[in-house]
Amino acid sequence: MNALTVRATQDMPNTREKVAIRDLSFFYGENKALHNIDLTAYERQVSALIGPSGCGKSTLLRVLNRIYALYPNQRAEGEVWLDGENILDNSQDVNLLRAKVGMVFQKPTPFPMSIYENIAFGVRLYENLNRSEMDERVERALTRAALWDEVKDRLGTSALGLSGGQQQRLCIARTIAVKPEVILLDEPTSALDPISTAKVEQLIDELKRDFTIVIVTHNMQQAARVADRTAFFYLGKLIEEGPTSQMFSNPKDRRTLDYITGRFG
Amino acid sequence: MAILTLETATFQERSTSLKRFIVKDAVFKNLTFAAALLVLSILFGVFLSLIIGAWPAFQTFGLEFLTSQSWNPVTEKFGALAPIYGTIVTSLIAMGIAVPVGIGIAIFITELCPPSLRKPIAIAIELLAGIPSIIYGIWGLFVFAPFLQSHVQPAIISLFSGVPFLNDLFAGPPYGIGMFTAGLILAIMVIPFISSISRDVFETTPSVLKESTYALGATTWEVIWNVVLPYSRAGVLGGVMLGLGRALGETMAVTFVIGNAHKIAASIMAPGTTISATIANEFTEAVGDLYTSALIALGFILFVITFIVLAIARYMLSRLEVKTR
Repeated sequence: MNALTVRATQDMPNTREKVAIRDLSFFYGENKALHNIDLTAYERQVSALIGPSGCGKSTLLRVLNRIYALYPNQRAEGEVWLDGENILDNSQDVNLLRAKVGMVFQKPTPFPMSIYENIAFGVRLYENLNRSEMDERVERALTRAALWDEVKDRLGTSALGLSGGQQQRLCIARTIAVKPEVILLDEPTSALDPISTAKVEQLIDELKRDFTIVIVTHNMQQAARVADRTAFFYLGKLIEEGPTSQMFSNPKDRRTLDYITGRFG
Repeated sequence: MAILTLETATFQERSTSLKRFIVKDAVFKNLTFAAALLVLSILFGVFLSLIIGAWPAFQTFGLEFLTSQSWNPVTEKFGALAPIYGTIVTSLIAMGIAVPVGIGIAIFITELCPPSLRKPIAIAIELLAGIPSIIYGIWGLFVFAPFLQSHVQPAIISLFSGVPFLNDLFAGPPYGIGMFTAGLILAIMVIPFISSISRDVFETTPSVLKESTYALGATTWEVIWNVVLPYSRAGVLGGVMLGLGRALGETMAVTFVIGNAHKIAASIMAPGTTISATIANEFTEAVGDLYTSALIALGFILFVITFIVLAIARYMLSRLEVKTR
């Protein structure tokens, strides 16, 4: 156990390491985008990754479900432990991993199908539910994503007809419907208006009762509002990490202070 | 004072150059309008001259021209059913093969192919599209048809000989040439169209959409089937219709291998004819006004069939757009 972990367990009792990133480096071709990252996300907590554009925070998120592996010239070195399994191991089945580690993207990405099908689609990949079970699953997912009341009368219509904020909540509903353990959020509110943003943030607060959440955000206030722990990245390196309150009130590193006070980034 | 004159001069300069632009604009606008008008008038002219040329045949035979399959230049009895049937059947065979293969090629290139192979395959397909149809014709007649006759058709005929319905559809003897062969040649000619258009539209699928499907734990197959294909179906349909348009009208390659027999056979292995093949074959021998008129009437029918296909394609596209909005 390193020092950070010890402090975290003192701060918040009953927390367990869910995702443990150890000595992780990442390459786009020859270009090293992440340098020897060590970071832990705790079960049923929200961990925020902040930092200026190009600092590697989204890259780190894309390692956690190995979505980067779609592109042949990207590669990761090091270890990422999820419940005691190294997900970077070649024997790891990426499809099963991604069913366990869900992801919501920066822009809403509804599939070109009905609202109902958008949710049922992911569930059907891994579970064989009958009609009423599926109806129930869809309703529960939409309810949890605070979208049910707005769409319950038009589940059969195309998801592309929803507003941006509704589409993003649909994407969250779609992700939680497959019952993942970890949810990765890649700047989930950057394309949304303030009211939709507030709804999504409230949702994140709700969801951490059941899920471990890792969120990348450009918005420092958002990190301060939703995250239990915050990690600050700069130029591909992890500069500082700790409980959010401490990061914002009493950062240890000069660069963190400069960033959170808006002096750069 | 000096400043004031300078300003006036600039203003005058501007207004003269503005006048020049106005003239240029008007000339340009009228030129483009004339070009658009030219297309319309050519289309209308073709339509009109087809009707005028076909009129004697339609007047003589009436609706029977569409329902009769007798084609006898000696007694001057003409019916278009056999060529119409041949046109539709060969096109159906061609599309039945070319659509799955063409889309399959496009999927392979965009989603599955190792990057180093992508370019060579794409170029090969473009080259295939560039081969003149006469070359497909002689290749079909001298190489492909004999091969089918000796190796493929006997096997197919014996395979289905005991199966009801299919034994009539694939009845012998194996001529080599015939509607089946014509359909295969057409399929080869149409595949490049379908696959290159499908490839272009598959590439427009946003990578975030594909990533978010993968992020749910979907396999490559599930991503292609559930996201890439639905996302690009309108464009793929456009490619398919373009291919169908080519298959319906293709003349030279079909004329070489179809056998040019004016009859409707139950077997697709049998020789037949298509509208364009009939016109190309018989125009030089058409003596007598009625014979010529009957051939022009065939052309008119092909024109109408192509028009209907395009109209259906438009209708399906507009419905798809409404659905996905």
